[in-house]
Amino acid sequence: MSTVGLNAYLFVAGLLFALGFFGVLLRRNTLVIYMCMELMLNAVNLALVAFSRFNRTMDGNLFVFFIITVAAAEVAVGLAIIVALYRKRRTVQVEELNALSN
Amino acid sequence: MNHSELLTQLSEQYVSTNQWCALWPEIALALLAVLVLLIDLFAGRLRARAVPFAAIAGQVVIFAVLLGKLGTCDPADSGLLFSGMILPTTLSEVMRLFFLLASILVCWLGMLYLRKQDLPRMEFYCLTLIVTAALMLLGQSSNFVMLFVALETVTIGFYILVSYGRNSIFSLEGGLKYLVLGGTSTAILLFGIVLLYGAAGDPSLPVHSGDSLNFLALEQFLAANPNNVLAKVGMVLVLCGVCFKIGAVPFQIWIPDVYQGAPTPVTAFLAVSSKAAGFIVLINLVTGPFGPMASLTVPLLSAITVVTILFGNLTALGQRNVKRVMGLSGIAHAGYLLLGIVALIQGVELAAWAVIFYLFTYLFGSFTVFGVMSHLAGPDDENQEVDHYVNLARRQPFLAGVLAIGLGSLAGIPPLAGFIGKVFLFVVAFQANLYLLLGVAILGVVISIYYYFGWMREAFFQEQTWPEGKEEQLAPIKVCLPHKVAMAALAIITVLLGIYQGGFGGGF
Repeated sequence: MSTVGLNAYLFVAGLLFALGFFGVLLRRNTLVIYMCMELMLNAVNLALVAFSRFNRTMDGNLFVFFIITVAAAEVAVGLAIIVALYRKRRTVQVEELNALSN
Repeated sequence: MNHSELLTQLSEQYVSTNQWCALWPEIALALLAVLVLLIDLFAGRLRARAVPFAAIAGQVVIFAVLLGKLGTCDPADSGLLFSGMILPTTLSEVMRLFFLLASILVCWLGMLYLRKQDLPRMEFYCLTLIVTAALMLLGQSSNFVMLFVALETVTIGFYILVSYGRNSIFSLEGGLKYLVLGGTSTAILLFGIVLLYGAAGDPSLPVHSGDSLNFLALEQFLAANPNNVLAKVGMVLVLCGVCFKIGAVPFQIWIPDVYQGAPTPVTAFLAVSSKAAGFIVLINLVTGPFGPMASLTVPLLSAITVVTILFGNLTALGQRNVKRVMGLSGIAHAGYLLLGIVALIQGVELAAWAVIFYLFTYLFGSFTVFGVMSHLAGPDDENQEVDHYVNLARRQPFLAGVLAIGLGSLAGIPPLAGFIGKVFLFVVAFQANLYLLLGVAILGVVISIYYYFGWMREAFFQEQTWPEGKEEQLAPIKVCLPHKVAMAALAIITVLLGIYQGGFGGGF
């Protein structure tokens, strides 16, 4: 039986996580930054499922459900904040949201 | 014994640890949050008074019962609850009281803040109650799933609370910054947890565990495999996630902006409860699962301590906005507390209690100052400059006196509580032979006196005449009696804790 190895999964998960992380640092649009954060959480989910499968424990699979639920709550709150801010400022670009920096 | 019998026995064994009574304060807080919702729905015109009253009175009752029960039974007797999700300790019992006390004071500040704002009122108290319940669970969690869920309940609650002033672009912008940076730190923490889970569950390694998200199993695994690279990376990532919570350098970028943008009561909540939660998690981690890895955690946290103390104090020097001053000096306080954590890893048992005591002195000192700030703040909550405190001693001598006690305690002036708190931390650091860190911390305290006293000087000694049209700055400020009593109580406790520490001081 030939299957994809654990390291392959971890490599993809690490890659997705790095993409998300640098996306948060480098992108200028708040919504894209938000998508990058979700990408990081999904990288974590992939790694969890892979570990769970290869270590033969169920905890990882279960943990994924908690992460998905929490991520959904985070999205609901986050988008509400972004919409409220857009109504006030008419922009979601990071460089224009500078009322607080001095 | 056949298969189904074994299963029944196992499930009975797990069910017997589901002792819901042990979590009664958290359950009571959640019920109180629902009650607040109902009161808002049915109280009609009374609701503006009834909601804060119910929230504060309910919490005071829970606090009193919890305080009465403290010390009557050893929490360690109950052992692991909910199949190892919850582990009550004496430390976590004391922290429950801490979080409740902070929450009561936040609700009090919320009354002051919401009076000046055109905002919905009930949600503020409801969210504060739920966040506090989650904070209390966070201090007792002994499994990473529990830790994650409790931590996220706190964090998502804080996203809403920080952007609560939805008419103000500053509050919303602060909320967005907290959201992006908080979300990123959560993801980093999670990735660390996953790596630890994967490493400790690897069947090819000795002492691997089928329950590798559990703190106890993880501690045994790390003790047996101290050189596992995956676990080491995971541990560093988890520590990074926690350092974000406490605002240690280099994870402090969010602090000044979020503290300035957030409504003043939420700033106080973030400064005290959120930071304390980070430290109780850190204590649980370094005495539990990360205990065997002292060779890695000590240099890492020592470096963070030095940079944090210096950064916090130096950046606070040039600030004129008092909310930013509280934020940046809060970073420095996190640095002093980290000193205690490093001493704890080095094996000084008392260090955990020194950290807790310092957190209590920080609570009383901070809320005294935040109480004064709430009285002086206008409708523009983010705009609170040191200049607004000019002539405070003449306009409202009571507020000026309370401010002096609060700031003096934060700066560590004897005989106030903050001084004794710092002495305890320095004693444990000395016992752990951390001379370099001790030197940096003392240097930091000296710098901090400069900016705390600059603020105090504006209130007391600056005699200034205002140009035309700014006379309102000289008008006396009215303070209602209940608020006066509350602030006087905080100031008196700050003085008393400096003179008498009771059981806390006995070990030193």
